Amino acid sequence: MHELKSMWSTVQPANPGELAGARRRLLDGMRPRRRFVTAPRLLVAAGVAAAVAGTALVVGNGTPAYALARSPDGTITVTVNELRDPAGLQARLGAAGVRADVTFLAAGTRCAAPRFAAVDATYDGPPATGPDELRAVVNESRSPKAATVTSVRTIRISPEHIEPGETLVMEFRDNANAQAPWRLGTWLAQADTPVRPCTPVEDTG
Amino acid sequence: MTIPREVIEVDDATLIERSLDEPEIFAILFDRHAPLLHRYVTRRLGPGEAEDVVADTFLAAFQRRGVYDRGRPDARPWLYGIASNVIGKRRRTETNLYRAYIRSGVHPAEIPGPQVEDGVNTLAVNRPLARALLGLKRADRDVLLLVAWAELSYQEVADALAIPPGTVASRLNRARLQIRQALDQEERGE
Repeated sequence: MHELKSMWSTVQPANPGELAGARRRLLDGMRPRRRFVTAPRLLVAAGVAAAVAGTALVVGNGTPAYALARSPDGTITVTVNELRDPAGLQARLGAAGVRADVTFLAAGTRCAAPRFAAVDATYDGPPATGPDELRAVVNESRSPKAATVTSVRTIRISPEHIEPGETLVMEFRDNANAQAPWRLGTWLAQADTPVRPCTPVEDTG
Repeated sequence: MTIPREVIEVDDATLIERSLDEPEIFAILFDRHAPLLHRYVTRRLGPGEAEDVVADTFLAAFQRRGVYDRGRPDARPWLYGIASNVIGKRRRTETNLYRAYIRSGVHPAEIPGPQVEDGVNTLAVNRPLARALLGLKRADRDVLLLVAWAELSYQEVADALAIPPGTVASRLNRARLQIRQALDQEERGE
């Protein structure tokens, strides 16, 4: 059973973009043929319509470089369509209550490390000796819980795993692939410690 | 999001009840459950038809919301039961997916190139699993995958498919046995 549970488990939950068509079909299908519109109902409809518009922003015609959406469980879903305007994304995260340091890197480069003091071993800890150890490090660490890549374009940020004063450091690298536009390295820097600017160096790995 | 907080925090049964008067509320149920339902359908049918199946499921659920059992705060069994019927109408897509996987070793929705390789030869396990799933009866496969992939409990599967818990158990046993045999055969190199 365990084997079956793991089978194709990397298939990701759908993001709002992948569900936009289905959601629209549902909303269209909900409309009764004849209906008496009352004021309170209009208010609710406006609320839902605004929420729909919120998701549409992510996937609409003029696709923005990035978008943020807060979920009821307190997590923040960040959709990154294009590596443009890192400062803007960083500011948006700040406005959402997440102190972040965002870098966009060209393909084949990385930031010279270390840039900061990390809260766990995922950033500059000793290299893992094998997949099991790597998995153990990831399981024990808070950085991977604070920000998780949930699909080729989305990241889920869980503020509950970020302590006050810590900085979420995000290094996006151009993946030179339209299907999966970027790769992300993300870690937590210790509370109230500086994160130095990124110095890109060549990285062919 | 501008949906009032109080609406977001209530359970599914309350949302469904409120949607009788205010249909738009039903969209919140969609936002709550569609992402994972989509994942479940994608695992079974591939990405091509998943969005359609999700839309069909929620539209059918919306039509039937008047008879929803309000004693069940979590609507997942209900939704996955409806989805099982919708998937059942696309059996050929499902068997084609398993066949293609056995041939190519690629599930079209798996994300290539994760940064952390898991180091396990998943193909050696997944291929016989796909072969076993292909050989299961539809009813057995529904039960097995609702437990393994949708993570429903026995009771929830019974609710989802409107069958007695005893039937869930016997179908699950039969399916598990076939899965186990397929893996053992593979290990023995047959």
